[in-house]
Amino acid sequence: MASKVTEQALNLIKAMPRVALNNIKPLPYTAFKKKVNRQGNRKKKGRGDKGQGARGTWDPLGYEGGQHPLIDTSPRERYYAQYAVRRQYPPVSLLELQRLIDLNRVDVSRPIDITSICNTGLYSFHISKNHFGVNLTDEGCDQFAAKINLEVQWTSELVIAAIEKNGGTITTRYYDPPCLAALYDPLTFFKKGQPIPKCKVPPQDTLAYYSDPNFRGYLADPEKVLEAREKLAQKYGYKLPDLKDDPVKEMLLMRKDPLQIFYGLEPGWVVNLTEKCILKPKDEDYLRYYHTAY
Amino acid sequence: MFRTYSVLRNLSRQCNRRLLMQRENPASSVACGYKSHVSIDQLYPSSNPDFLRKKTEFQNEEQTLEKFEGFIPVDQLEISASRSSGPGGQHVNKVNSKVEMRFHLQTASWIPDWIKPRLLQQEHGRVTKDGFFVVRSDMTRKQMLNQADCLNKLRNMIYKASELPPEPTDEEIQLKQKRMAKAKAGVLREKRNRSLIKQNRTSPEF
Repeated sequence: MASKVTEQALNLIKAMPRVALNNIKPLPYTAFKKKVNRQGNRKKKGRGDKGQGARGTWDPLGYEGGQHPLIDTSPRERYYAQYAVRRQYPPVSLLELQRLIDLNRVDVSRPIDITSICNTGLYSFHISKNHFGVNLTDEGCDQFAAKINLEVQWTSELVIAAIEKNGGTITTRYYDPPCLAALYDPLTFFKKGQPIPKCKVPPQDTLAYYSDPNFRGYLADPEKVLEAREKLAQKYGYKLPDLKDDPVKEMLLMRKDPLQIFYGLEPGWVVNLTEKCILKPKDEDYLRYYHTAY
Repeated sequence: MFRTYSVLRNLSRQCNRRLLMQRENPASSVACGYKSHVSIDQLYPSSNPDFLRKKTEFQNEEQTLEKFEGFIPVDQLEISASRSSGPGGQHVNKVNSKVEMRFHLQTASWIPDWIKPRLLQQEHGRVTKDGFFVVRSDMTRKQMLNQADCLNKLRNMIYKASELPPEPTDEEIQLKQKRMAKAKAGVLREKRNRSLIKQNRTSPEF
């Protein structure tokens, strides 16, 4: 069964005229270019008369007649190795987070993710600088006292212990740059009228981190996360609270799907702010695209 | 391009309803039924997604302990914080980062009884006159890490006290028996030799 898109494409081709010499033209780069700056007399090939220049026996660049070359005097320090590929996570300390909570800049009754932190106006990141989200640091772990459902991009064991000690939950979650652009400023993104993107699966070198229950990765096994919570409580010496009858438990367990970037909104939806409505795709091709990772 | 999308105009009413719901119950409005093919219940179909539930097998207090498994019930320990010593300026002067942990050794139900006298013998300096076992730490600048250090030390002490010498294997028993027999044979040989020498010193009997 051919899908609608394929059918439309085939119909388009059927309606067009037959390919003939009068309705095709060559691609722009295939145009014949006159070769400029070519030599008339090619005898010496631009190398001049005799000598090393003509015979191609010059010393290599940097060679100093046997003396230890300047470039080799100091060791190689790869400060900027893979700088364009390396991910960065601008930090937010637990102390800062506690301050944001105390000053009511973030709503504790809802899950806190990167959008909530950016909406405070006190934190920002730049995708152009290879920033991939929030790195929650452990400064202020002793003073932290808030029960929250937190979602960050990078964190350490001590931070996880500090948050779970107070009865909260933390998840580490990956977002690719187009999703981060939407998350940083959702209002501007919705005004564009583009469908909500689906989040890509993390790159190979971070897949291990985000599948690790010890770092509460969003792709980790929930059973292993449960064991990891118990182990961490034993390691750091606190008792895990019993949340069986807690009204906040549902909020603490709330998680986004791995392809979802906004709570309550699916990828593929178009949010229309002026008419206050949401446009949802019905076509099976679109639905399949927005429900699969590939 | 959006011919395939359906415009749901009555959604504005649903949006208002959703706003009302938000004030009442934030959890239900934020939750979404969206499940992709890489959702957690697809990746781990046999796992229970509720990781906040209490795991009953892990903490069994009524169990008679034969071996120390590593579990320490934190609510049965008296944990207090005080100011640390050493350099560190204003931070070390003001912040209570040193952690002291104490518990009554004899009444501790989480340590097997046969380990208690061994622990007492090993760490007699840590036990007060009233019988309280004390562990302190001011290794780091953070109270949480110092508390973890205290627990780590305590766990290691109990594990060390519960170390029993390994039982000898059959080979080792045989080897020991062989060596003992050889030593015994050597002793007897010497005795007989000495006896002969002594006999030779006396006059022969005819």
